[in-house]
Amino acid sequence: MRTKKQGFIGDLLMHLGMIFLSFICLYPFVLSFMVSISTEESIVKNGFKMLPDGFTLTAYRTVFADGSIYTGYLITILVTLIGTLLSLLLTAMAAYGMANNKVQYRNAFALYLYIPSVFSAGLVPWYLVCTQILHLQNTLWALILPSLVSPFNVFLMRNYFKTIPSSLLEAAEIDGCGVMKTAFVVVLPLSKPIIATISLFVGLGYWNNWANALYFIDERRLYPLQYMLYRIESLMRFIRENGAMANMEVPTQTFQMATLFVTIGPILLLYPFVQKYFVKGIMVGAVKG
Amino acid sequence: MGTKQRKEKEAKKNRRPFFQEMKKNGAYYMMMLPAGIVVFLFAYLPMPGLIIAFQDFNFVDRFRSPFIGLNNFKFFFTSSYALQTTVNTLVINFNYLIWTTFLAVAVAIILNEIKGRVSRKIYQNAIFIPYFISSVVVGRLVRTMLFADSAGGVMNRLLRMFGADPVKWSTVPIAWPFIIVGAHLWQLTGYTSIVYLASIAGFDREMYEAASLDGASRWQKIRYLTVPLLMPSIIVMMLLSIGGMLRGDFANIYAIIEDNGMLFKYTDVIDTYVFRAIKGAAEFGTTTAIGLYQSVVGFILVMGSNWLAKKYDKDSALF
Repeated sequence: MRTKKQGFIGDLLMHLGMIFLSFICLYPFVLSFMVSISTEESIVKNGFKMLPDGFTLTAYRTVFADGSIYTGYLITILVTLIGTLLSLLLTAMAAYGMANNKVQYRNAFALYLYIPSVFSAGLVPWYLVCTQILHLQNTLWALILPSLVSPFNVFLMRNYFKTIPSSLLEAAEIDGCGVMKTAFVVVLPLSKPIIATISLFVGLGYWNNWANALYFIDERRLYPLQYMLYRIESLMRFIRENGAMANMEVPTQTFQMATLFVTIGPILLLYPFVQKYFVKGIMVGAVKG
Repeated sequence: MGTKQRKEKEAKKNRRPFFQEMKKNGAYYMMMLPAGIVVFLFAYLPMPGLIIAFQDFNFVDRFRSPFIGLNNFKFFFTSSYALQTTVNTLVINFNYLIWTTFLAVAVAIILNEIKGRVSRKIYQNAIFIPYFISSVVVGRLVRTMLFADSAGGVMNRLLRMFGADPVKWSTVPIAWPFIIVGAHLWQLTGYTSIVYLASIAGFDREMYEAASLDGASRWQKIRYLTVPLLMPSIIVMMLLSIGGMLRGDFANIYAIIEDNGMLFKYTDVIDTYVFRAIKGAAEFGTTTAIGLYQSVVGFILVMGSNWLAKKYDKDSALF
């Protein structure tokens, strides 16, 4: 009887703890959304409140009235799509070569990929190579190329390819498939789970990356969404000075939160459908980090 | 295992000369080439640039910059910044590691104990969400909403609820390392707990059943089974993050602090200092020297922690 009661109290405490944590994790999202649909006066007067006094979409209208949000979206979508596709292609190809036991220098190549994660040249030489030798500043490639190949992902994919029975590959070879054809016709369809997982992680990385824009991009037309959010103060000034809103007061707090919601909107919408792949991916990575 | 080793030995004996290997497996090497080129361009090509650390770097005539020995290092290490930024980096990273591990393990254990599938899923989904947003968004939420200077900021409203006066947060340096660590915890606890949840899921159920038969309470099972069984993963995860201890968490910290000089005392890490030095004064020599210092110490830390990990558990070492 006593243990049962103890068990109940334990359950209660655990649920309370988790409810508290969940609340803390969700609260900023809900609150910022509420702010984004509030009137500016009510925020100025009452501060950030969960239940807005007045409902308005002015902030969102301001965000979309300015053209830069569309170019921001375009840049981010382009970078995410091209980056994820290219990254996946390069990662999968390298991993495929490394997974084959007959390839003699596969471990040497693995070492070659691994060394930079143990010893890197640091920010400055990297920055100088990107700007002085590769001339990436103010190009779309500056947002794509530097984070194209992650050794961790290559190793993850190689380990997955290794689990594919070699008899399957040999059979394909006997049937007259070349290396490329075997890779694309036999191995690729079998590797959908790992491809889905890695492309989601890579895609999220590209969507959220803003440091590369901070290093390399000065031109407003190349700002990705996250960097626009980072530069929001100057963005507000820009809207005030240019554009259609010239003689209209720009809402500041609500505008910031509306922009924030516009940049994370697609992620929040996709989250329910993709989170299980991320969980799986973390578990795969946890098996051998 | 035995056959595998024998096979590897045989393979070693049958090694082909370079050109023959290229002819036979050329297609595979062609597949590895693009990734190899990208890694060469962005990871190996910068390495000769480390020479700048010993030069008075001249942007116009950059290949003929004069060598000045260790002056760049001297400049950094004799300034007050060296100690301050190193200490800040270590303190922030150390707190990241300790608290994230502690909280993530606790959450993983609780999630594992909670029986209702639906409630467990709801909790897990809720605490995982912050992982998906960028550091800029975190910075905005923290600075303009939670810790806003105005009386309407969330923390100031909370303070008022308890009868305290509102605080002008952007002028209180000591608050921000806590805020930075808190934001990191907020973003990564859910993610890290999944790692530990994965290892808990791999534990032998029979042990738990045997413990139940012996009359062990839930708390005893956690204390004497789950925690000791998790220890290897915890120690390995910690050892492996030691290598990055001197690398500042640039994007996250910079997104929160930006260029608010008043807060640098406790929040300026090596990487944010380096970034400002490049952006503001184009200090390429000194900053390269600082980068080299980070890389060398980082290399020693990685090797050391890997050696420790190997000693602790052979399979857990990275290499």
